[in-house]
Amino acid sequence: MNPMPKHFAFKAMGSFCEIQLFDESRIRAKNVVKQLTGEVARLEKKYSRFREDSFLNEMNSSAGNKLGLEIDDETQSLFDHALNCFEHSDGLFDISAGALTEIWDFKKAVVPSQSQIDAARAHVGLNKISCQDCHIHLPRNMQIDFGGIVKEYAADSVARLARSLGIEHGLVNLGGDFSVIGSQPGNKPWAVGISSPVSESGIMAKIDLIDGGLASSGDYERFFMHEGHRYSHILNPMTGWPSNGLRAVSIAANLCSVAGSVATIAMLKDELEAKAWLKDSGLAYVYMDSKEEISSAGLSAEN
Amino acid sequence: MKNSASRSIIALSSTALALPGIALADAPPTQSTISYKLSNYQEDDLARAEAPFGELERYDIDVHQFQLVSPLGRNMSVHVDANYESLSGASPWFTSLGLDGEPNVNLSGPSGISDRRTELSVGSRYYLENGSFAANIGYSEENDYRATYFGLNGEKHYNNDLTTVSAGLSYSSDEIFPTDAALFNRSIDEDKQSTSVFVSVSQIINQVSSFQSAFSFTEQSGFLSDPYKLRDIRPDDKTQLAWSNSYRKFFVAANAALHVNYRYYHDDFGISSHTSDLSWHQNLGRTFQLVPQLRYYSQSAADFFTNVDDFLNPTSEYQSSDYRLSAFGAVSGGFSVIADMGSWKATLTAERYLANDKYSAFDVSQPSTALVKYNRVSLGIDFQF
Amino acid sequence: MRALRTTLLLLICSLMLISCADVRAWERGYLAREEMAWDPDALESSLNDHIFFSKEASSGGNSAAGGGCGCN
Repeated sequence: MNPMPKHFAFKAMGSFCEIQLFDESRIRAKNVVKQLTGEVARLEKKYSRFREDSFLNEMNSSAGNKLGLEIDDETQSLFDHALNCFEHSDGLFDISAGALTEIWDFKKAVVPSQSQIDAARAHVGLNKISCQDCHIHLPRNMQIDFGGIVKEYAADSVARLARSLGIEHGLVNLGGDFSVIGSQPGNKPWAVGISSPVSESGIMAKIDLIDGGLASSGDYERFFMHEGHRYSHILNPMTGWPSNGLRAVSIAANLCSVAGSVATIAMLKDELEAKAWLKDSGLAYVYMDSKEEISSAGLSAEN
Repeated sequence: MKNSASRSIIALSSTALALPGIALADAPPTQSTISYKLSNYQEDDLARAEAPFGELERYDIDVHQFQLVSPLGRNMSVHVDANYESLSGASPWFTSLGLDGEPNVNLSGPSGISDRRTELSVGSRYYLENGSFAANIGYSEENDYRATYFGLNGEKHYNNDLTTVSAGLSYSSDEIFPTDAALFNRSIDEDKQSTSVFVSVSQIINQVSSFQSAFSFTEQSGFLSDPYKLRDIRPDDKTQLAWSNSYRKFFVAANAALHVNYRYYHDDFGISSHTSDLSWHQNLGRTFQLVPQLRYYSQSAADFFTNVDDFLNPTSEYQSSDYRLSAFGAVSGGFSVIADMGSWKATLTAERYLANDKYSAFDVSQPSTALVKYNRVSLGIDFQF
Repeated sequence: MRALRTTLLLLICSLMLISCADVRAWERGYLAREEMAWDPDALESSLNDHIFFSKEASSGGNSAAGGGCGCN
């Protein structure tokens, strides 16, 4: 087998994506990648907040409808996972925080008033939504955003699809969310560099991935400064204000979906609590705190 | 990642794993596999002391097995099986009392039995979220025997796929038309029907072991006697029960798996039996596997078994000297070597089987002298594409 | 038959006593190995079933009876 993997780059879910895999035939690899990108496109079409014809849009349009809406198994499972994360993070991880995102304008760098925040918070809270047995009842003015879980789920789903198509060695990267199809030949890990939130081209840490997934969360891409205070785009649904914890965190776990949920929750917790929680988690991680100090555990291939 | 994750992380994972794109439910095969196995089965000759007159050579059988398993669409798989057997040799015809007062076996005459058997079956399995169901149909033919059969079965997973319950039923309709029937005053054309049901439960015990227990119930009716034996009169129906148990455990440090199986059987001819077998599947690197195995079998005699044919007995009474209905035990040991080269796999197996009335755990009041000993060698090839 | 019934009851009771671990899907790697299958070699099992069916009086157990043959 050729010692170098084949690279296939494409754009999806608003990010740069790349699939690397080892396969004997370039033609077969291309066919496989076609099916994989098709799967990403399918999920994007279904759950994109920015597409009018997405199922997510249809779901959000049903807000206030007494009859509710029929959903499929996949959507029900995603909701179940989101609810599980909501319960285990004491309400920090909340896919129904859409109403809040709308009042914070990061382009205009305006801080909304407390009364505006309070009004928006009335329409936030995953526990207010009834979604079971493939039927969802979305209360009026509430909005769901799967943005926090779909990209990671897509990475895992694509990795599994690749395995079922016979690919034994490969790596899926959807805008920084990684899922391993299989280790590099000879049971060698994939080396993934995690970029630094502060330095433009710097690497914060390098992690060896032999299986599972890697997801990152950070506030360095979207934030604004106002009166000397830093407002990150990561909003705490319990308070309505941006979280004030870690600057960036990357987690490696058995699944990208799990890594993503853990990363998001770690970003929403208070700094000290987040650090302790990550330490206890047993997962491999790297984070940069508010003082721009880097800390990590379990990154090297001791697996 | 071999770190042990904290409880909260494990809790988060449970719902992630249930996501359809990730869930590891029972799934149809993604590749097709074609398999071929060639086997030779050879019984030991009788000792002259056991058969003072006539043939000593018993069965010599060559078996060709062929199988194709293929996915069909996203939720189905289909399989085709074909078998061809060619058989030569002799089989016990009647038993008599020897000059020394001990029972003797008399094998069928110099022409012996030469037979070919062909079998073809086709089946399909349909996979759902929590289980699957399957149907199969088959046909087999020999010079003197024809059988048509079909079966249906289904299985369902519970308890996060840790428990699986399956059940099925099958039916077979057979026809017997013994060769040289008129010449030897045998029945000309008989038939037999067989209906069977089973239920089984499998349970995953922990990361390295699992257990399965199954019951089967079979009802046969029609002509159940052996037409080639000079004197063989059996009831025209038979009820059978079997209860089997299997245990599998993987030993991580040894990189090997242990299989232990036990079955209890009972039927209304009066036969009870115990079957137990053990095998050790030892991996050697990534390519080879060695599998030694041992089997112990023990059965009791049928109520109407007699080790010396009594031709003066009225034909209204059941009677058979068929060694297969006598009380005996059997010990067999074998060895397989498997070479897995990715899309190709080869398996070489050798086995030795010894039946002896002294091995039975049951009362042996009438030991049969016609018990078999045989050698079996097989070579199998699998190709995945 | 009485001995059979007692053995059955004992087995069912002992099965209920075995405390089974909750094994997560990602932890089932060992169980998924080919050598851990109930039947790793289908052709071998059907060959053996056929031989034992014709040389011994017992049959059945973990599946319903398959095809017939003149061998018993």
